[in-house]
Amino acid sequence: MTKTPLGRRRAALTATLLGASLVLTACGGTPEETPTGDTGATSETRTVQADNGSVDVPADPQRVVSIGNTTLPFIDMGGAPVGVTEVGASELALVPEEQQATFEAATILGSSGDQVDMEQLAGLEPDLILAQFPESEFESVKEQLESIAPTVFWDLDVEWKALADGVAEAGNVADGLTAQKAEFEEKISGIQDTYGAIIDDTSFVNLDRWDSSDPGTFSVADFGCVEIAQDDIGMDFPRAADGEDPLGWTSLPFEQLAELSTYDVITYPVDAEGHPTAAFAPVVESNTWQALPAVSSGRALGLFCPGNNSYGPVLQYLDSLDAALAALPAKE
Amino acid sequence: MTALALRHEGPGTVAVPGPRRRAIGLVVALVALLALLVLSVMIGSTAIPPSVVWNALFHPAADIDQFAIRDYRLPRTVAGLVVGVALGLSGALIQALTRNPLADPGILGLHAGSSFAVTVAVGVLGVRDIGGYMWFAFAGALVVTLMVLAIGSTRQGRSPVVMVLAGVCVGAVLQGAGSALELTNPDAFDVMRSWNAGSIVGRPLDLVWPIVPFLAVALVLAFVVSGPLNAMALGDELAVAQGVRLVRTRVLAIIALTLLAGGATAIAGPISFVGLMVPHVARWLVGPHQRWIFAYSVLLAPSLLLASDILGRFVMRPSEIPVGVVTAFVGAPVLIALVRRTRASGL
Repeated sequence: MTKTPLGRRRAALTATLLGASLVLTACGGTPEETPTGDTGATSETRTVQADNGSVDVPADPQRVVSIGNTTLPFIDMGGAPVGVTEVGASELALVPEEQQATFEAATILGSSGDQVDMEQLAGLEPDLILAQFPESEFESVKEQLESIAPTVFWDLDVEWKALADGVAEAGNVADGLTAQKAEFEEKISGIQDTYGAIIDDTSFVNLDRWDSSDPGTFSVADFGCVEIAQDDIGMDFPRAADGEDPLGWTSLPFEQLAELSTYDVITYPVDAEGHPTAAFAPVVESNTWQALPAVSSGRALGLFCPGNNSYGPVLQYLDSLDAALAALPAKE
Repeated sequence: MTALALRHEGPGTVAVPGPRRRAIGLVVALVALLALLVLSVMIGSTAIPPSVVWNALFHPAADIDQFAIRDYRLPRTVAGLVVGVALGLSGALIQALTRNPLADPGILGLHAGSSFAVTVAVGVLGVRDIGGYMWFAFAGALVVTLMVLAIGSTRQGRSPVVMVLAGVCVGAVLQGAGSALELTNPDAFDVMRSWNAGSIVGRPLDLVWPIVPFLAVALVLAFVVSGPLNAMALGDELAVAQGVRLVRTRVLAIIALTLLAGGATAIAGPISFVGLMVPHVARWLVGPHQRWIFAYSVLLAPSLLLASDILGRFVMRPSEIPVGVVTAFVGAPVLIALVRRTRASGL
């Protein structure tokens, strides 16, 4: 990113001020090379790899700040950040209550990665910053973040398992991750073994609709939890050709629901209670939906997907998928 | 779209066709509209045979293709007709009222008022369903008009110029406030991104019907004031000499165009160019006779809207382009061509 001379001066000034505030804070509190906080952590470090290169991070970070999409995965693996950026209310409502409590105990630093209050962030005295948000936004705050604490950054295109591995390693929550991974592998194998015949012989299509969808439109979604059903389990869902935009980015008019008659099974989003999500409800309530062969034969499966960027919510999705496949009527 | 322009040409600069040619033109416009109504129901992003379309309308059955016709294409066509009529007539009214051939209802702040009300409904009150926030859009348009009328009332009465300036000012303030709210509220931003594009997709008939009585009242009012507006085009003093009650005419015209533009915006969101371009074309066809301009606008505007909507179903198949985007693409070059004509249609 090219900065104007004025922009460089501003960035340098900001970095200097933040650095100075940290030095002053350090002078009045914990010196380097001594235990930090009350937990007895030392200044021992290790190197992790991320999208912003090799980063030396504390071996046992005590004051972690999470910016963007790393927050819920970090908490899901047992982490407790001291500062976070906002998470949507609807997204937060899907995580377990104890994780919600952990999130709410953290200081909110801003609405998104490029809106972080740097002064407030510096005041938290973090020893590690985990971040995932658009790289274009990261470039504008990179220097400031790195002047405050070691910053481990991932762009949005990183695969969710790689992100989980990276967050676990950098945030020192690998123990939680190991247990989740084992459970994940077990569930995947269980579904493949139990429903192998269905998986091999069924054409699926996954539909979705979001609060931001235009009225009267839906999408054939090929991202989100369906990627796990597709890539890890091997179920046959439509997906975009290589190099093309995801199918889910295209809004389709309800009229095209009729074209889904060719699929054996339709999957669609439901909430934790099994009801169609509020955004998807207009689809389910339509006459066209009711007239689809898959729907009228009971082969439309509501699946609960609380998230797909860490193992906890993915395990809940797999439970939902397992239950739905168990109840799937045989082909006529 | 809002625009102010000086009037360079007045009555007498346009070759005015006789009553017979105007009537023939009106019949042609009516036939074109009927054809587009049929095409709008027949043609869609899904291939459905004409026989199924016929059966869907006249021999209804629980068939998946018939549902597509009755539940989506028919309401969409009705919405296009209603919104088109309302936009065309409201554009003709505002151009006659302000004596400005490049004015549209947005000039009185109606679009900004509707947009702001929808932003508040979504961002602050949590309304998510179009059936909920469309009434906020309608109310927003009405409230802004009352504000403009109040601000635009001077001791000398209600001047069109003062009202337009008041509309522009109120619109600018509301646009700024709405933008601020959208930028701090992701939900409002998402809804407004879609709503501001202007679309007639996903508007079932039970959303459209409640607006229709307001539009019917406005339609009657518009034709009631068409005669006085003709006289006012010659100047206020001459109009008064002919017995026109200026304030009454202006208030009725503003009520009518507010109901029309507010209703259309409530159903479809802000759609540019239709209310601006169609009356302009109508004036070019029939000359400065408001009643004929209104009649032509009532037929040509829904034709433009339906043709644009049909086009939008195919350009990016399987996805669709909102009709508001298509009318802007179609309308802008046509309008430029019209205003560059040496004998542009003055008022």
